Amino acid sequence: MNVIILGAGHVGSTLAQKLSDIGHRVTVIEKDPHAVSLIPRNRVDSGSIIFIHKDGSKASSMVDAGIVDADAFIATTGNDSLNGLTAQRAKIVFGVEKVITAVKGEGSRVLHESLGITTINKSNLASDQLVTHLSELG
Amino acid sequence: MYLVIVGAGKVGIPLASSLINEGHEVYVIDHSEEAVNEVQRELGMVATVGDATQPSALKEAGLSRADVLIATTNSDEVNLATCQLAKLQFKVPRTIAVAHTPENAALFDLAGIDLVVSATDLVLANLTTALPTHPLIRLMPLADRSVELIAIKIPAAGTVVGNKLTDTRLPYGTKIILLINTDGHTKSLDNDSVIEAEDEIIALSSTNSTAELWEILTELR
Repeated sequence: MNVIILGAGHVGSTLAQKLSDIGHRVTVIEKDPHAVSLIPRNRVDSGSIIFIHKDGSKASSMVDAGIVDADAFIATTGNDSLNGLTAQRAKIVFGVEKVITAVKGEGSRVLHESLGITTINKSNLASDQLVTHLSELG
Repeated sequence: MYLVIVGAGKVGIPLASSLINEGHEVYVIDHSEEAVNEVQRELGMVATVGDATQPSALKEAGLSRADVLIATTNSDEVNLATCQLAKLQFKVPRTIAVAHTPENAALFDLAGIDLVVSATDLVLANLTTALPTHPLIRLMPLADRSVELIAIKIPAAGTVVGNKLTDTRLPYGTKIILLINTDGHTKSLDNDSVIEAEDEIIALSSTNSTAELWEILTELR
């Protein structure tokens, strides 16, 4: 699958690595060149994860990232509303089949779901992982 | 009418002020306390601090009984999210959003916002009116942007100068509405109307063929 991830923060970078591990073609859009340091250098050098250093809120950056041939678009910036806007662009303008947003607020979650966007809740993810770690301790 | 305005900035404050003067009930939401204080100083207790992308803030502003929501913040994503919340969760009959880039204006249209005000298009239209050398002005998009109202200035050395309007081949779907001569007088549109140098033509044009129309009307001898 061709997957485009917007934002290379903790969620975006972790997701990029995991998806690339299981064989997907991953392109990450991140305007801040420093933010990508979370992803191992060799992944980028070997081309297994492609980086586009551009402002992902613009349609042209999404086109440069290959949105036209993308099967999924995942918006993971820290801004719920920006994630919502870019996800709708991916879905409505570019016809991407699967669009996902990472959201912090409950209001954004409900809104995005009602617009046909799948949401993942950032704080739920963290607490789920914590619960898993703690339960491993016995 | 009860109108809720999101964003107490350069657009929101004058808008609130003029709507209040017209006798409407207005409430303004902005995330900045400073901006809200300014509204309260100028217009009274008609503003509150809140994040308009949060349903709780919209509920507090009584959005369920609002007739119109107008999103005027500097952030396109906030304007979109707020309008969509208003429409989907609060069933506000009419939502209006400012879009700062043309591509977001197009997206807002597709995303179901009732009226999209494209800041860039407005500024461009005003600027190009002030520049005599620029002969194409997009005045207003219509019918979901498939048709637009445009103005084209005929160059003094244009090939169409001296032609009858009826003899000029125009793209399919073009409807000439007005011919205005250089003194600002409109000409009557009939079979004998002749295009003269520096005339301004106001027309309805199918958006896809505006470029072609422009080329025909501004081609130089």
